[in-house]
Amino acid sequence: MVKNFIYFLFFVLAVIATAELIGIQTFTIGSMMISMLPLVFAIAISMFLGLSFLRKGILKKIYSKKNVDFASKYLIFIMLPLMARYGSDVAPQIREILQVGWVFIFQEIGNLGTVLIGLPVAILIGLRREAIGATLGIGREGELAYISEKYTLESPEGRGVISLYVIGTLFGTMFFSIFAPILLDFGFRVEALAMASGMGSGSMMSAASATLVARVPEMENTILAYASASQLLTSFIGTFTMVFLAAPLQQVMYKLLVRGDKK
Amino acid sequence: MSPTMRRYVRYALVLLLSVALILFAQEIKLLKNPDSTPITSMTFVGLGILWLFSFIGVIIADLMKLVPIKVIRDFPILGWVSITSLSMCLISDFFVEAIQSVDFLAITTPILTVAGISVANRLVDLRKTSWKIAIVAVFVFAGTYVCSAVLAQLGLLFAGN
Repeated sequence: MVKNFIYFLFFVLAVIATAELIGIQTFTIGSMMISMLPLVFAIAISMFLGLSFLRKGILKKIYSKKNVDFASKYLIFIMLPLMARYGSDVAPQIREILQVGWVFIFQEIGNLGTVLIGLPVAILIGLRREAIGATLGIGREGELAYISEKYTLESPEGRGVISLYVIGTLFGTMFFSIFAPILLDFGFRVEALAMASGMGSGSMMSAASATLVARVPEMENTILAYASASQLLTSFIGTFTMVFLAAPLQQVMYKLLVRGDKK
Repeated sequence: MSPTMRRYVRYALVLLLSVALILFAQEIKLLKNPDSTPITSMTFVGLGILWLFSFIGVIIADLMKLVPIKVIRDFPILGWVSITSLSMCLISDFFVEAIQSVDFLAITTPILTVAGISVANRLVDLRKTSWKIAIVAVFVFAGTYVCSAVLAQLGLLFAGN
């Protein structure tokens, strides 16, 4: 047991070293500039090597049940120093942030985008009740709890939210580290994109904001401050937005869209 | 040792592992690019402070479980740690200076490494999810991000900022 854990530690060190040595890779597609950070390589490598058909020999020991359980149980604690770091990013800019405080609250309404844009697409490609679970939010713990309480996780709604949870966990960080800077090329201000990064998922926020920093390094302080302030706000009022805005809006839209479908 | 004590010792050790991995990542980052954030004595102080604030946040989150208000009980540990750190950093610039000598990206790499391992057994679940939900996921993620960004952009415009 202990031996497997030592393998695990050395494996983590090796992945970190590899990811950091690859460094930041930037390439352009057309007029879009895409930067891949070490964090993307880190998750890609540790996910890929965990594929079941590769789990032989030493990899089997590294990805033992105990080690994987350890990683998922304590991931949140591994993340805590990052959250502590954000305090030092927000503090020096607190005055500036409070000055535009209402903008932070205003953009929270943007979290309804999951319903406004996601639901019509889901209905269009033929999903029905699963769509309720899959578009209520970005499928983090909050939505999981809400859906399981209201519909149970065995229902179609439940399957929808679990699927989104799995997809978000696996690919969320990679998605945002590519998507966030693309919007920069569409002319969005980096402050606005930083604010939008606080969506309620710590790792997705970090991926989005870190890639923005890589693109606009001179704004590092502002980006990290705005993203983490917005994230903190989302963790306070996110539940209210979901229960009192997203869920009712979703019900109304669902009825309209499904009715339109039958004609 | 009481079970509670043992639990806190375990949290303390995991947090220690976390800051140790950050130091390692920052060291490798320096090897790759000598211009990145240097490792000074302040870096060690900063890592110690990150460890301390995280631990305080864990204790606060535990204590808040006793509060009879649901929103406060359900508030995530991650949030308590941010609030702890934010309040301390508002009190003294020393904390800000120390924490800022820890490289930001070096903090993110170890987290995503562990995250990758933690999802290893969920890759199987992916087969159970339909491709339709994968398409929807793209629009859901993009949707929330773009809508928030548009509102933020408008807001900042009105704020004349």
